[in-house]
Amino acid sequence: MESDKVVEVAGLHQRYGDFEAVRGVSFEVSAGEVFALLGTNGAGKTTTMETVEGFRPAHAGTVRVLGRDPHRERRRIGGQMGVMLQESGLFPELTVAETLDLWCDLIPGARPRDRLLERVGLAGQAAVRARQLSGGQKRRLELALAIAGRPRVLFLDEPTTGMDPQSRRATWQIIRDLAAEGVGVLLTTHYLEEAEQLADRLAIMHRGRVELSGTVAQVLAGSGDRISFRVPAQVAVAELPRLGGDPPRITATGGGPAATYTLPGPLLQQSLRELLNWAADRRLELAGLQVRSASLEDVFLRIAGRPAAEEARR
Amino acid sequence: MNPTETLVPPARAAGAARVLRLARLDLLLLWRNRTALFGVVGLPAFFAVMLLVSNGNGHTSGGIDAVLWTATGDVAFFLVPAVFMNLLNVFTARREELTLKRLRGGPLTDAQILGGSILSATLLYLAQAAVIVVIIATELGGGLPADPLLMGVGMLAGAAVFALLGMAVSGLTPTAELAQLTVLPVLLVSMAASGFMIPLEGLPEGWQRAAQLTPLTPVVEIVRTAYLGRDYTVTGDHAELGALETWATCLPALAVLAAWIGLSLWAARRWFRWEPRHG
Repeated sequence: MESDKVVEVAGLHQRYGDFEAVRGVSFEVSAGEVFALLGTNGAGKTTTMETVEGFRPAHAGTVRVLGRDPHRERRRIGGQMGVMLQESGLFPELTVAETLDLWCDLIPGARPRDRLLERVGLAGQAAVRARQLSGGQKRRLELALAIAGRPRVLFLDEPTTGMDPQSRRATWQIIRDLAAEGVGVLLTTHYLEEAEQLADRLAIMHRGRVELSGTVAQVLAGSGDRISFRVPAQVAVAELPRLGGDPPRITATGGGPAATYTLPGPLLQQSLRELLNWAADRRLELAGLQVRSASLEDVFLRIAGRPAAEEARR
Repeated sequence: MNPTETLVPPARAAGAARVLRLARLDLLLLWRNRTALFGVVGLPAFFAVMLLVSNGNGHTSGGIDAVLWTATGDVAFFLVPAVFMNLLNVFTARREELTLKRLRGGPLTDAQILGGSILSATLLYLAQAAVIVVIIATELGGGLPADPLLMGVGMLAGAAVFALLGMAVSGLTPTAELAQLTVLPVLLVSMAASGFMIPLEGLPEGWQRAAQLTPLTPVVEIVRTAYLGRDYTVTGDHAELGALETWATCLPALAVLAAWIGLSLWAARRWFRWEPRHG
């Protein structure tokens, strides 16, 4: 084996007519690694995935899967790739068992059907037609198809969309187990928790570019800590102190305006002391006071450039 | 020895097995889709029953029993429901439900995916044609085909043309519902201009020549001429033909079919789509 890289993407560009959906994306996935692509809708995740899966040639740049061009040499690596598309693609009139039987017949060396059904938790639905499955069950059947051929590299485009929390956790475990067996996994997700739970490394895409990549810890490092509280009714926003030299960001919440300071790590303790002293001097109660380190969501929202409405953390 | 070379025969065997597996899938899915089943199997069955019902009604077409005329025409015409309409529906619906794309995401080649559906449609067509041959031989007194090889060549070339046309037209059909509409041009031309049921002898010669250039007409000419061993090309004189004469007589029709294979291949390459326009 010349390299343990199962996916290598370098300088990938992809356009639809005049619209450049992917502009210079590079990343690598190693055997046994879970790599997550995050991004807003339209960031170019699915286009990147479909190029890596070999559905379209790269407009510019290079893409290698198991050392080969996935578009031109799809026949040679197709059997070693497991693919789960963003949208289902199941035959609606086939039962779960028939769907798996079909794929197991088409793929040499496929896993036994009943083992697959058990693994994705669909053993009880074997006789149900695909069109009658719930969204989450369809995703689980798709996952079974993707892993049926014992792939060396697995592409999962939003694998847990529509799943209930229990199935989602079960699916994460399946993905972790596969990675532990040495499968390289490239996945996209909208669920930041999923990336935090699963990904060894991740990349955040925005408008066709990778804005940030690395391990979860690397991505979170340097995006600062957060102090937030509800602005007391008797204080005007302009009177709030500057911490670390910066005024707070004000957002509207159900309980009135909230102030959030974003601070580089070393300043946290000092800034918190200043804030509490400021409040004590004025005999203010800081309702909803929170001190926390940055989450992937903070990083994501900052990159996506959304109005930083602090969503209630679940 | 290059080790990969020794792998070629098993790979080819696996390829053939996959095409057969997909053909079997198509037949199962057709069975479960009653609307499609009605068009693809019910319509030809109705035509076959009509032959039995109208047998012996004394009418003649082109100088022979009209029922025998229609029966030999049916052997060609069933290309339209069994191959063209069938594949147009299959490819359009599967593009929409993304199963075509999904199949491409596995180890199958494009040729295997398309080949499975085309094979099942062709087998269905050949089975339907075989039923008509049995009816001709046992009920209509028409005997067995005089030149089965030429008839088979015409039928398979016709299957290629109508399979490729089905692919091309499916690419121009945005949804499965609209397939009922986009099927019409080829269907109507095939019904009106092929002479499979109503002889074209009454038409002015220019119209006859034009009709001979439509895709189903040469198949009807070849099948009827090869079956009955007489010149039943559109402008033919119905004279009895020797073995080589049959082929010589059908040469222009074979040339038209060859041209249609080229044209429909070009159209299929140009218009066939694996994925919906937006998705």
